[in-house]
Amino acid sequence: MRTILRVLRYILIVICLVFFLFPVYWLVITAFKPAKEWFTWPPTFWPTQFTFSNFFGAKETEVFGGTTGSIENIFPYLRNSIVVGVSVSLIATMISALAAYAIARYKVGGAFLAEWIISIRMLPPIVSAVPLYVIFSRLRLINTWWALILSHLVVVVPLGVWLLISFFREIPREIDEAAYVDGASVFQTFFYVIFPLSAPGLAAVAVLSLIQSWGEFLLALVLTNDARAQTLPIFLGRYITGWRVAWGPLSAAGIVTMLPVVVFAIIAQRYLIRGLTFGAVKG
Amino acid sequence: MKNRLIPWLMVLPVLALFLSMTIYPFVFMIWSSFRQYDLSKGAETRFIGLSNYLQIFSDTTAIESFKFTAKLLAIAVPVELLLGIGVAFLIRGVRGEKIIRSSLLIPMMVPAAVSGVAWKMLYNYAFGPVNWFLSLFGIPRISWLGDMTYAQLGIILIDVWQWTPFVFLMIYAGLQSIPQDLIDAARVDGADWGRVFLHVEFPLLKPLILVALVLRIIDCLKTFDIVFMTTWGGPGAATHTYSFYIYKVGVSFGWNIGYASALSVLLLLVSMLLVNIVFRLVRMRQQLGFGGEGE
Repeated sequence: MRTILRVLRYILIVICLVFFLFPVYWLVITAFKPAKEWFTWPPTFWPTQFTFSNFFGAKETEVFGGTTGSIENIFPYLRNSIVVGVSVSLIATMISALAAYAIARYKVGGAFLAEWIISIRMLPPIVSAVPLYVIFSRLRLINTWWALILSHLVVVVPLGVWLLISFFREIPREIDEAAYVDGASVFQTFFYVIFPLSAPGLAAVAVLSLIQSWGEFLLALVLTNDARAQTLPIFLGRYITGWRVAWGPLSAAGIVTMLPVVVFAIIAQRYLIRGLTFGAVKG
Repeated sequence: MKNRLIPWLMVLPVLALFLSMTIYPFVFMIWSSFRQYDLSKGAETRFIGLSNYLQIFSDTTAIESFKFTAKLLAIAVPVELLLGIGVAFLIRGVRGEKIIRSSLLIPMMVPAAVSGVAWKMLYNYAFGPVNWFLSLFGIPRISWLGDMTYAQLGIILIDVWQWTPFVFLMIYAGLQSIPQDLIDAARVDGADWGRVFLHVEFPLLKPLILVALVLRIIDCLKTFDIVFMTTWGGPGAATHTYSFYIYKVGVSFGWNIGYASALSVLLLLVSMLLVNIVFRLVRMRQQLGFGGEGE
């Protein structure tokens, strides 16, 4: 009986692993398939011929007489994603830390301010997307990095503030007070004493911000319109709508879009759990 | 402490960001929801009272999108909760737990646009692995994204795939925080695993399950990218989520800012209600250090 249950348990685990990993596996494997294997029945679960041409090489790929985009022109989008993601990550970490410190130690704005900031995180972005479009077009910021950086900051800063408030609260107050007694100003205390002590928290906020900005779709879709500012997810969105889709290069582009985030997330997993579980779980 | 101004200076950047990027848009949205404001018909606006709001009730696509969003909430969220809790218990203490755990978290880390690409290939009518798998059981091909019922099912399945890991993560983290002595003590007293679950683990996990439930409901209301990447709301209006419909009205189809604003105000009200519930559930004030226990 016991063995049967154990075997059953492992079978269930394998089923779960297959269900949750197969879509990612399929994307990866398609990226390495030659063109003739994108459309075969039965589908091939391992490419007969491993190829890198979906990543490099072929500028345009011919599929059923039509041509579709290739990964060749992904670089402007990659550049935009990196510029926006890194800027958002750095600015968000900095301003979240400042605000969280003031809220945690000095209770600036009281519970109202703190709750207001955090509640913004939970509102659907579509609600502000249309007004933001109108505002940014008046400021002539549509299709610029700035439109994305500013709007992504609104998405990522609330979580950063939330995470860091709980982080700073775990640092004993006596440490700040000792610094004041030694004659340090509030800013000096913050930069030279608190900042180094909270490095893991700051790193978590930086990584989380980057991940959120990197994958953000809706605002990027509404606020940008060409390769000057569009990010990787939008690149994917543009190519998937066509009738003839070159699955190989599209999957390769999907890997480029996915890999940095997944690698980051796995490396920083331990710190991320706190952020991802929304501070609802302590520890 | 030293200077009352300095802490305010520290929140100033965030405050400036949110005042300009949220308060102003919200005011603009409420203002425009009462006006005829359609960029496709010129930028001139005029006050029309509640017409935009009343239009929602006679707009069949709006009602369809409302229904589909409700379906998503009613089916995907409970499935995610049950599956997430089940998986958390399933892998606890198993050999290779850490690797299995990390692997199971991958779907929620994949950007939604990428999962859209992957699932669109999986669902492909002629060459997709999903239909191949079904054919092993003699089930004829299904047009996953082309048939109304199956397309809805298809979107729900993607949501389950992407977000069950989130529920799993929360419950798993909660399970880790239950002291092992508590479980051992119950075992010594002769409780089988069913009783341990019912009387020890479940009561301790209950608040977390509630939080996961409400957070999933809130996030479900945002569902957009998956729909955009796979069905584009189709066939017909079958897979329009509410967020996707606002996008169509306000951006891709019409630039009807007034009507989109009215739709958004409605969504905002529902979301604010839910946010309030979450804050009560997680005792937000105490967590942030205002009132209650602690300092």
